[in-house]
Amino acid sequence: MSSIFLLLTLAMTPSDTMTYSAMQKLVPASIRGWQASEPARFYSGREIFQYMDGAGEVYLAYGFSRLLVQRYARPQQEEILVEIFDMGLPRNAFGAFTNMQGRGPAVAIGQAAEYKSGLLSFWRGRFFVCVMIDNENEEATKAVFDLGSRISESIGEDGPTPSLLHVLPQELFELQTLRYFFRHEILNIHFYVADKNIFRLNESTDAVLVRLKSDKSHLLLIQYPSSKEAAAAYADFTASYLPDARAEGWIQTENKKWTGCSVHQKYVLAVFDAVTLADAQNLLATLQRILP
Amino acid sequence: MSESSMTRRDFLRTTAAAAVVGTAGISLLAQPDAQKKANVVLIRHQHVVDSEGKLNPKILEEMFDESMATFFRTKNAGDAWKKIVKPGDVVGIKTNVWRYLRTPLELEQVMKTRIMAVGVQEKDIAIDDRGILSNPVFARATALINVRPMRAHNWSGVGGCLKNYIMFTPNPPDYHPDSCIDLGALWKLPAVEGKTRLNVLLMLTPQFHCLGPHHFDKQFTWAYNGIIVGTDPVAVDAVGLKIIEAQRELFFKEDSPMRPPVRHIKAAEEKHGIGIANLAAIEIVRLGWKEDSLI
Repeated sequence: MSSIFLLLTLAMTPSDTMTYSAMQKLVPASIRGWQASEPARFYSGREIFQYMDGAGEVYLAYGFSRLLVQRYARPQQEEILVEIFDMGLPRNAFGAFTNMQGRGPAVAIGQAAEYKSGLLSFWRGRFFVCVMIDNENEEATKAVFDLGSRISESIGEDGPTPSLLHVLPQELFELQTLRYFFRHEILNIHFYVADKNIFRLNESTDAVLVRLKSDKSHLLLIQYPSSKEAAAAYADFTASYLPDARAEGWIQTENKKWTGCSVHQKYVLAVFDAVTLADAQNLLATLQRILP
Repeated sequence: MSESSMTRRDFLRTTAAAAVVGTAGISLLAQPDAQKKANVVLIRHQHVVDSEGKLNPKILEEMFDESMATFFRTKNAGDAWKKIVKPGDVVGIKTNVWRYLRTPLELEQVMKTRIMAVGVQEKDIAIDDRGILSNPVFARATALINVRPMRAHNWSGVGGCLKNYIMFTPNPPDYHPDSCIDLGALWKLPAVEGKTRLNVLLMLTPQFHCLGPHHFDKQFTWAYNGIIVGTDPVAVDAVGLKIIEAQRELFFKEDSPMRPPVRHIKAAEEKHGIGIANLAAIEIVRLGWKEDSLI
């Protein structure tokens, strides 16, 4: 263990050392009788695969920068595992949180948090944080919450949520179904569209996927840097996904539900699996009216 | 976008055309090919996991022994092991230690005991997961046993026997693109090719849904109380996938394909040629508890 820690330390650049040092200050040495049981471990960029396998791709798709892993032990008690993901930007941290959103009830830690079955996840500023135990008991659960609160306080500053969110009328969708992202791999985790990136998603785009309360259809809203890029993405999507659609851009797909897409200035809007054509068309028309 | 793209509509077409047998990611429409047919044993026991989730090791051992004897058509499990392991073999048991849903230690020990009973020396047997590349026994292994639980996975759709071998590569991210579609290629690595004698996919309490990289929730597991045994990792995974997709449909009360869709099982057959993914070409020998078998 100590040799691993030494190697990590030697591999750090001076600036990394500062950063790791700053991250280390986000976690307390002890909480409610639990003590840090080993030196914190740090992983930067693709080193995340030394800590987790394929799941690391999810964090990389959200712009992951570095990870702190700290374990806490207390005799006769559950081990507590803390993971602090420095996602580089608040939007990335928010996205990583929404990727897991919907697991359980919301709790008041950080800018948004959920807790269920021993796992507390929250985001604040540019950090996404998980605090977890394998088996719940009252004392360990309290420690998880206290630890989360302490880390949130140490982070100190909130970050802005992506402006695209403010465009969406919140009464239309279930908040827990909201996913924010900018890579097609994440879109495909939550709603598989195509193996290729036919919406031309990238780090300069913002995308939100929600599930509507009315008919459980999926609404995808993407903001591009320019209307030209939005038009190109719209053309790609319709050519690949809706080649048999009528001119209005709607098709009843093989599951007997309706899918359609429209472009409005620098926005592309798509509805998947609407129950009726009229409802889906009304939705997109409404959104187009309120988009900037 | 000059290159053609596989879209969700392609999956919907497959599902619509094969509504009765459904599994969107796997080609069910092909006719059974007698030349390529695979076999698996699916064994279940109502009490191997109790209502509180506690494992009964004795029942698990009996189930496993019965499945081995049935699959290899022998009088007992000991004779079955003699068909796949010889006294001079060096055996690596590739297990899975994911903290929330690991291969039961008791089953690992049963395997080790059965292998030793064949005549393999204890020093020539190793049980490992994340350390296999630095494990000296695995380095000189002549035979591999592959065992792990089935679960939903946030990047590959599911983690089964095929994915369990990702630790055989020093660079797992090489196999991550396109929802890990090329996991079948792992089976042609020098450390692996031709060595696997048995694949055991544990369906005791499979996880059929996940939200995020860490996600484990007992709400998304159920006591299926089964084990799938075979020599074809693709067939074993295809059967396991069909079962958890059926459970998703029951649970979510709507068509709810794996997210992301599972592409590596079909590709393991069609692209890498290491087994059979087409359920219509897989013979499933069913033993034990039949209720709610979902397949």
